[in-house]
Amino acid sequence: MKSDDSTFVPHQSQLSATLSEVPWWLLVVMLVGLIMVYNITTNEDYSSIFSFLKNGVFITVRVTITAYIFAVIIGLLAGLGRVSKNPIIYNIATLYVQIMRGIPILVTILYVSFVLYPMIIDGVAWVAQSIAVIGLGDSEGFWANITASDINRMMGGAEYSMLYRGIMALALSYGSFSAEIFRAGIESIEKGQMEAARSLGMSYIQAMRYIILPQAIRRVLPPLGNDFIAMLKESSLVSVLGVRDITQLGKLYSARSFLYLETYNQVAFLYLTMTILLSLGVRALENRLKSGQ
Amino acid sequence: MDKKTHDLTRGEKEKIIVIRNLNKYFGELKAVSNVNLEIKRGQVVVIIGPSGSGKSTLLRCINHLEEPTTGDILIDGVKLRHKSKSLNAIRREVGMVFQQFNLFPHLTVLENITIAQKIVRKRSKKDAIEIARQQLERVGIPEKENSYPIQLSGGQQQRVAIARALAMSPKVMLFDEPTSALDPEMINEVLDVMLDLAKEGMTMVVVTHEMGFARNAADRIIFMDYGAIIEDTTPNKLYNNPKHERTKLFLSKILH
Ligand SMILES: Nc1ncnc2c1ncn2[C@@H]1O[C@H](COP(=O)(O)OP(=O)(O)O)[C@@H](O)[C@H]1O
Ligand SMILES: [Mg+2]
Repeated sequence: MKSDDSTFVPHQSQLSATLSEVPWWLLVVMLVGLIMVYNITTNEDYSSIFSFLKNGVFITVRVTITAYIFAVIIGLLAGLGRVSKNPIIYNIATLYVQIMRGIPILVTILYVSFVLYPMIIDGVAWVAQSIAVIGLGDSEGFWANITASDINRMMGGAEYSMLYRGIMALALSYGSFSAEIFRAGIESIEKGQMEAARSLGMSYIQAMRYIILPQAIRRVLPPLGNDFIAMLKESSLVSVLGVRDITQLGKLYSARSFLYLETYNQVAFLYLTMTILLSLGVRALENRLKSGQ
Repeated sequence: MDKKTHDLTRGEKEKIIVIRNLNKYFGELKAVSNVNLEIKRGQVVVIIGPSGSGKSTLLRCINHLEEPTTGDILIDGVKLRHKSKSLNAIRREVGMVFQQFNLFPHLTVLENITIAQKIVRKRSKKDAIEIARQQLERVGIPEKENSYPIQLSGGQQQRVAIARALAMSPKVMLFDEPTSALDPEMINEVLDVMLDLAKEGMTMVVVTHEMGFARNAADRIIFMDYGAIIEDTTPNKLYNNPKHERTKLFLSKILH
């Protein structure tokens, strides 16, 4: 464009600016969504796939939320350990974080499910037996002869057992990511805050609890939210344990019906819908926190 | 312990801060070098000296924000030992005001002043608020109790920081360049509060280059260089005949 067109330029650039502000990608997703909903309501294959996958949504959501709550608790504790001046606490926390970051999540899931979890159940059975025999002097009763499989049965049997293993593995993996988020959040608070708190006579724990963490948590909310989205996606890995989440049900249905395209279209779209809604939520939270400051 | 307190002569009891042979290293760097200092109850001591001469480090050793490498510090007759439980008990007797204010940004002015009273001094909420309001009155901003620190000017923030420290009813107040981060027009509102405090008999150790304050309030003035105390005298004597060349040189710089 030459300079003699200059009266036109602002007009055009305004229009293109407006056009480039439209979230086209979201419109595309919504269009695909409409087509999907249309198919589900009119096409018999699609609707029977959907009613099969629906049950998996509950499992996926349940795995994600439960594992996430544990991950945040583990992450907070490990994050506090990572900023601790006590070398024992610091090294335990660092060892945990490094181990979890260095192992693929899929391997963690397999390891926790088939090594760690059985060991813990065996341990619980052993402790229960010991308490019954030594503590209560009862070597005949139920508790004295309890086995690992008894405990598994008491916890809801094979199906739930695998669910718990998957949740534990995801919580341990993501706990290490949350730990680093908390560590960075705590370290981002100016040193003067801790010094001012200590100079008023607060203990280290009081200063953390009342001064440092309340400020750090505001800063870590957006990255923690992103981790929730990542975990929702990664929860699909528990399908290797046979946990009947969206992915596992998709595998089962497509293998049975050979409707691969129709099934995996819906599997993918279910995840996409959830993650996009969540990421819009995280962005809104981010904006609120920014304007709040 | 009670016996000992009785045995102390009156002179000993008057010394609220006693520092003996204090040395502080940061790695190879000697930030504080063999400092001996005794401060009596009610004294106002001003510390001056070039940047990097160890003034802040000395002040921070007094309430153990820095751990002394060697030497002893006694506050009101009690020896400070790092990592001991008694440290928190001593720290609440020693108020500190920082150059950067260090108010808690997530709390209102009133909460800034009440939180440590509640969790450290174990005062009731009602008592803590009452004391906080008295202190806000004293520093001249009673109307700001519901503001957040970010809504205040620098001078107001520093006055809140002073009120926060005073609300703990400390025996000693330490000030580390309390007006250096302030715009010039706000310096006096803070110095006035400090002058009043000095008149009321508070024991104060103040790192500052505000010579007007030193002249009006200080009983003693200490000149530090390379981590050591070079002169320890009265403000008048220091201005009129500084003993050391280095002191003269420094004074000529800050008195322009
Ligand atoms: N935390 C620290 N780590 C390493 N060096 C430090 C630290 N704090 C202070 N120093 C050094 O110690 C010396 C004295 O510093 P400081 O007490 O802050 O001096 P002043 O307050 O008189 O300007 C300086 O050389 C400074 O760089
Ligand atoms: Mg300094």
